[in-house]
Amino acid sequence: MIKSKKTRIADWIIAFICFLFILICLLPLVNVLARSLSSAEALIRNEVTLLPVGLNFDAYKTVLGDSKYVWSLIWTAILTGICTIISLIMTTICAYPLVIDGFKGKRLFNTIFIITMYFNAGVIPNYLLLKDLRLLNHPLVLIIPNCLSVFNMIIMRSFFYGIPESLREAAQIDGAGFIRILVKIYLPLSKPVLATLALFYAVGRWNGFSDALMYMNNRKYYPIQLLLYNILNNVMQVEVAAQEGFSTPGLSETLKAATVMFATIPILLIYPWLQKYFIAGVTLGAVKE
Amino acid sequence: MKRLFSILLICALLAPGIIACGRKNTDNTGGKDNNVTTSPGGGAGNEEIVNGKFTKTRKITVEVFDRGNDGGTPPENNFYTDFIKEGVLRDHNIEVTFVPVPRWTEVEQINNRLAAGDAPDICVTYDYPTIQTYANMGGVLDLSPYLEQYKDLLPNLYGLLTETNINWNKNPETGAIWAIEARLANPQRINTFVREDWLKKLNIPEPTTLEEFEDMLQAFKDNAKTLLGKDADKMVPFSISYDVGWRADHLLASYVPDNLSEKDAYIYGFDDRKFLYPGIKEGVRKLNEWYNKGLIWKDFALYGSGDATEDNMMKAGYVGAFIHNWDYPYRNGEDSINNNLKRLVGEDAGYVAVMPFKNDAGFYRKFLPGPVDRKIFFPSTNDEPLASLLYLDWISKLENRMFLQIGEEGVTHEKLEDGSVKMLATKGEKIMNSPNNIDYTITINGLDIGDQELNIKSIALGYVGVDPSYIEKAYKYSVQDGRFAQNYNFGEITAETGMGPALSEKRNTVLTQSVVAAPDKFDTVFDQGYNDYLNSGGQAIIDERRAAWENAMEQ
Amino acid sequence: MNGSKSEDSRSNKSKKRVKTRAYMKRYWTLYLLMLIPLIYIIIFRYIPMTYIQIAFKKYSIVQNVWEMEWAGNYGFEYFIKAFSNRDFLYALRNTLLLNFLDLLIGFPAPIILALLLNELAFKRFKRLTQTIVYMPHFLSWIIISGLALQLFAPTNGLINIILNRMGFKSIPFLNDPAHWVWTYVLLGVWQSIGWNTIIYLAAITGINPELYEAAAVDGAGRLRRIWHIILPGLRPTIVVLLIMSLGRILGSEFDRPYALSNKLVTSVSNVIATFVYTNGIRGLQFSLTTAVGLFQSVIGVIFLTIANAIAKRFGERGIL
Repeated sequence: MIKSKKTRIADWIIAFICFLFILICLLPLVNVLARSLSSAEALIRNEVTLLPVGLNFDAYKTVLGDSKYVWSLIWTAILTGICTIISLIMTTICAYPLVIDGFKGKRLFNTIFIITMYFNAGVIPNYLLLKDLRLLNHPLVLIIPNCLSVFNMIIMRSFFYGIPESLREAAQIDGAGFIRILVKIYLPLSKPVLATLALFYAVGRWNGFSDALMYMNNRKYYPIQLLLYNILNNVMQVEVAAQEGFSTPGLSETLKAATVMFATIPILLIYPWLQKYFIAGVTLGAVKE
Repeated sequence: MKRLFSILLICALLAPGIIACGRKNTDNTGGKDNNVTTSPGGGAGNEEIVNGKFTKTRKITVEVFDRGNDGGTPPENNFYTDFIKEGVLRDHNIEVTFVPVPRWTEVEQINNRLAAGDAPDICVTYDYPTIQTYANMGGVLDLSPYLEQYKDLLPNLYGLLTETNINWNKNPETGAIWAIEARLANPQRINTFVREDWLKKLNIPEPTTLEEFEDMLQAFKDNAKTLLGKDADKMVPFSISYDVGWRADHLLASYVPDNLSEKDAYIYGFDDRKFLYPGIKEGVRKLNEWYNKGLIWKDFALYGSGDATEDNMMKAGYVGAFIHNWDYPYRNGEDSINNNLKRLVGEDAGYVAVMPFKNDAGFYRKFLPGPVDRKIFFPSTNDEPLASLLYLDWISKLENRMFLQIGEEGVTHEKLEDGSVKMLATKGEKIMNSPNNIDYTITINGLDIGDQELNIKSIALGYVGVDPSYIEKAYKYSVQDGRFAQNYNFGEITAETGMGPALSEKRNTVLTQSVVAAPDKFDTVFDQGYNDYLNSGGQAIIDERRAAWENAMEQ
Repeated sequence: MNGSKSEDSRSNKSKKRVKTRAYMKRYWTLYLLMLIPLIYIIIFRYIPMTYIQIAFKKYSIVQNVWEMEWAGNYGFEYFIKAFSNRDFLYALRNTLLLNFLDLLIGFPAPIILALLLNELAFKRFKRLTQTIVYMPHFLSWIIISGLALQLFAPTNGLINIILNRMGFKSIPFLNDPAHWVWTYVLLGVWQSIGWNTIIYLAAITGINPELYEAAAVDGAGRLRRIWHIILPGLRPTIVVLLIMSLGRILGSEFDRPYALSNKLVTSVSNVIATFVYTNGIRGLQFSLTTAVGLFQSVIGVIFLTIANAIAKRFGERGIL
C-alpha cells in the first residue's frame, strides 16, 4: 500500500504524540527504579532523578534474600492464577444466559446483579459473614468473596451481544445445546474480551490487598502488596511514633523502592504476553452467508 | 408463572438474611446482657488456692501489636511470649494465648472482633474516647467491682499503677471503670534542637531567649553560603510540619499566660496540642512572621506525615533548628539523623537540645501529660476477669517486666558498673519487636529498672553513636518547668464523642494555613479557622466541660 | 355459558403448562449456569446488605442488626446529622466537582488515545507503547503523591526549580486550591488513561475487517474511517462505560484525594470518602458512615437509571 505524503506526515505526528506518552508514563517508573539502585546518601541528598547515583544492588539482595518476599511473590502468583481462572469461568456462565433471546428472567437477573455494584454495607458485615462461613484466615477467603465482578460481567455481556444471532441460530438448527454453543462458538470468538478480563482480574487480585488486610491474619498467605503496604506505611509509623514516644526503625528508602519494583514488575510482564489475543481479532468469515 | 417465579426468587433472597440473623442470635447471647454490671464472682467460677494459683487452669487471650517489622519474630510466638506463658502458667495457672493485631489497622480490627464477639480478653488502645464509645454500646466490662474485690491479690498492679492510674477513668457518678491507665514512666515529650556545629561556626552561644533564637535563625539564613557552600539555596533555618501544634510546641507554650487556672486548663485542654489555650494565636503569629521572613521551610505544608523529605533535609545538613519529639535526632540507631549528619557533613555535625522559650513569668513552660499512657480494657466477652487481672499483675511485677524490658544480660543488654543498663541491638530469635518490648509490657511505657536516676542513665546509653550527655541534656530540658496535666474526671463529656479525629484535622488546617498566610491576612485566616473549629463542635465541648467543672467543683 | 368459560380457562391453563414445560426443557441449562453466580451473589453481597439498615439504627457493636434501636427522627437521625454538618456539604460539592471534571476529561481521553494507538503505523512501536502506557496504573497513590511532590512542590519541586531558573515564578500546582483541582484531575487521567485504553482497543479488534476494506475501496481517508467505522464500532462499549461512570458520580474514591491532599487545599480536597474516613471510621460513628454510603448508593442508582433510559432513547441497548 503506497501511502500519500499527507498520510506519512500524519503517521509521524501520531508516533511523536505516542512517544510523548511513553515518556510521561515511563519516566516516573524509571525514577523509582533508579532510586532502588542508588545509595542511601544519594537519596537523602535528593540527587536521584532518572539514573542511579552510587549504584548498588544491596536493596535487591536484601529483598531477594528474604524468603518472606520471595515466598509471598510465588504465593501471590499462584493465587492470581487461580483467581483469574475461577473468575473467568464465573463471569462467562453469568454473562452468557443474559444474552440469549427468550431467556426469561433476564431483566430480573440483570437488576439483581447491578444493584450489588452500588450497595455495599461495609467492612463489619462482610467480616461477620466470613466469620460465619469460617473463611477467616483461610486462603479461600482471598479467592471466593471477590470471584465475580459485575462490572466485568457487563463488559463480557456487551461483547457477547456483538456476536451475531445468526451463528447461534444456525447451530441450534443443527441441534446443538446451549452449553455446546457457548463452548464451540462464543468462547472462540471472545478471545479479546477473555484476554481483557483475564488482565483485569489478574491485576485486580495482584494489586488488591484490602481483603487480606482485614480477613487474613496468617502471614504465610499475605499477598505481596500487603507486605508492601506494611513497609510503605510510614504514615502510620510517624503517627504511632508521636503516640508511643518512639519509632521502630523503618526500612531505608532504597529498600522501599526496591520492594515497589519487586511487587510491580511481575504483573507488568503479563500484558505483553496477553497481547497476542488482542491482535487475533474476531474471525467473522463464517458470517458470509 | 412469571409472578410465582419472581416471588420465589425474592423469598430466596430474603431467607438467608433471616437465617443469618438467627445464627447471630445464638452466637451473641454471651455479649448481650451487659448493660448491667455483673457482680464479681459471677464469671470467676472456682476461687484459687493460696499463693494466687487457680485450682483449674484458666485460659485468656491477650492482644499484641503486630508491627510487621523486617527481621522481627512472630509477635504471638517468640522468646518473650514463651517467657510470659511459662511464668503466668507457673505462678497463676493461667494459660495465655496472644492474638496478633496489625498495628496500622488496629482500630478496624478490634471493631471487627468486637462485632463478631471474638475480641481478645485484654485489649489495649491509646484512645480513650474509643473505649467510651464501645462502653456506651455495652461492649466493655466494668472493672471497678473486680478491682475493688481483688485488690489484695493484685499488689504489683496497684504498686505500679497506683490508685491514680487505676481510678483515672472512674466515672464519679456511677463508679464505673471502663479502662485502667498504664503508667508513663518517663514524661519527656518534646524538645527544641539546633545545629551545634553551626553555632560554633558562627560563634553564637546557645540561645536562651526568644530574641536570641530569632537572631540565630536570621544568622543561619544570612550566612547560608558559609554554612552550606554550594547548597546555600537549600538552607532551612527552621523546619516544621503541618502538625504545627506539635512541631512548635515549646514556642507556642511560651505564649500561654503562666497563671492559666486549672479550671481553664481543663475547659480548654481537650485538644492534645492545646489549640484553645489563651495566647496560642500570638505564638502562631510569630511563626507567621518567621515564615514570611523566609526563616521557615517554605514547602512544609505540602508534606504528609509519612514523607521522608523533611528528615532527609535534616540528614543532609540543610536544617538549622526544629522542634520535635524529645530525642528525635538521636533515634533509629545507625540511621539516626545525627549519625547521618556525621557521615554526610562532618564529625562535629549534630543537633543539641536548647531551651529558649520563656513564658511571661520567666519559666520555660512545657505542657506534659499526666502519668498515663495506654488504656487497658476488657471487652464484655471476657469471661475471666480475675485471671486477666492476675495476668496484668504478673507483668507489672518488677522482675518480670524488667526481664521483658531489658532481656538477657549479654544478649540484649549489658550491665554497667553503676547499675545502669545499655541495650544492645539484637537480631535473631531474641530480637525485641518493639523498643523495650513495650508491646508486651502493656502496663508501663518507658524503661524502669527500679531507680529513676539509673533509668535516665540507661536511657541515655540506649542511643547508638550519641554521647550520653546529649541524651541526658535532652531529657532534662524536655521536662524542666513542666506543667503536668491533672486528672479531672467529671464523667463522660458527650460532646466529645466521635469528634476527636475531625477536630484534630481542623486544628492542623487552621494552624498551617495561618502560618503561611500573608501577614496582613493572618488575623482573618486564623480567626475564621478558629471560629470554624468552635462551630464544628469545639464550642459544645467547651460548654459541657465548663458546666461539668462548675457543677463538681464550685457547689 | 359458565361451563364453556371454565373449560376455556382450564384449557388455557393446560396450554400454559405445556408451554412452560417445553420452555424449561429447552432452557434449563441456562438456569443451571446462572445458578452458581446467583448463589454467590446472594451469599456474598445480599446477606451483608441486611446491615445497611444500620443507617437507620443506633449501631451497637454487641447487638445483632435486628436488635438495634431505631435512630431518632423516624430513623433519619444520621442523615440529618450528615446534612447539617457544613463539612459534609462541602465534601458533597467537592466530590461532584472532582468527579465531574474526571468524567469530562478522563472519559474521552482513553478513547482518543486508543484511536491514536490504533492508527500507529509502526507495529513494534505500537506494541511497545501499549505496554508502557498502562504502567502508571500499577503505582499506588502513596507513591504517586511522593513523585508529584518531587516534581510540583513550589520551592523544592523539580519543575518549579527549572521555572525559577528560567526567571518564572513558581506555579502552585499543589498548594493553591484552583491549581490543585487540575493537578488532581490530570494526575488521575495520567494514571488511568493507558489502562482504560485496553477495553477500547479490545473493542476495536472486534470490528469487522470487511468494513475497512469497503471504506478503502470508497477512498475514505483516515479521519473518515475513524468517524464512520471505528467510532460507531466503539459506540456500544462507550455507552456502557459512560452509563456506569455516570452511576459513580458521587463515588467514593479515597486513595487519590487522601494521598494528594494537604492542609492548604482542604477547601477542595475534602471529599465524601475522606469525610467518612475522618468522621465515620476514625470517629467510630458507624451509623453515620452507613447513612452516607447509602445516600451515595441511592443517588448513584438514580443517575444510572436516568443514564440508562436516555441511552435507550437513542437506540442503544443500555445496561438494565
